Amino acid sequence: MSLASTAAYAARRAAQRERVRILYRRALKDTLNWAVHRHLFYEDADNLRARFEVNRGVEDPDTIDRLIVDGEAQYNKWRHPDPYIVPWAPGGSKFTRNPTPPEGIEIIYNYGREDND
Amino acid sequence: MALRAALIRHLRVPVQTLSPAGRVSQPSVANSLFGSIRFMSSHDDHLSKEDVADRVLSVVKSFPKVDPSKVTPDVHFQSDLGLDSLDNVEILMALEEEFKLEIPDKEADKIDSCKLAIEYIHNHPMAS
Repeated sequence: MSLASTAAYAARRAAQRERVRILYRRALKDTLNWAVHRHLFYEDADNLRARFEVNRGVEDPDTIDRLIVDGEAQYNKWRHPDPYIVPWAPGGSKFTRNPTPPEGIEIIYNYGREDND
Repeated sequence: MALRAALIRHLRVPVQTLSPAGRVSQPSVANSLFGSIRFMSSHDDHLSKEDVADRVLSVVKSFPKVDPSKVTPDVHFQSDLGLDSLDNVEILMALEEEFKLEIPDKEADKIDSCKLAIEYIHNHPMAS
């Protein structure tokens, strides 16, 4: 039944692939947040990849959906409370720290020189 | 005191101001040597394309699942190097760490080859 409308099937699988990719990306970043030391991070990243590889051959879209929902629930459970965000990115410490001043403003450089100098 | 004031006035470097029409006024001699290199500025260090390309290629070559001899500046991760979409994600994370970038999820999907990666990083204003 889902093979009859192959365009819809392909679209659904593509959307699932997208979700898996985004989930893997976020999970990997989270792994880096938790395991700060590099050798620990490599081990944890390998474990994460192995967990994704276990479900690699699943073909049925409903099973895949269920697996993705499970994975996202696990990701939400393990999210780090203080993730590392690049400083200039939204949520980082340097975000909008020094915005460009609005147009038309000019600074007069007179170095505090007073009028009676 | 007067000597000090005279000395300071002698060493004062005139500031380049923009005239109201927006044209840069003539730089003085003292400024022309240092006009292009601002030593303490953090805004002038935009990367050159060869720098970006070298670093991207070294990151891709040091990926354990990649054969280093096949990596060229316009190699496609999935079709030429035989990588997976999850491997693509891993390479992108390595590139983000190398260049201290934060690539949003939507853009990260589209970066599929070395050429796109080099272009994206080169055009990113905060790459370092």
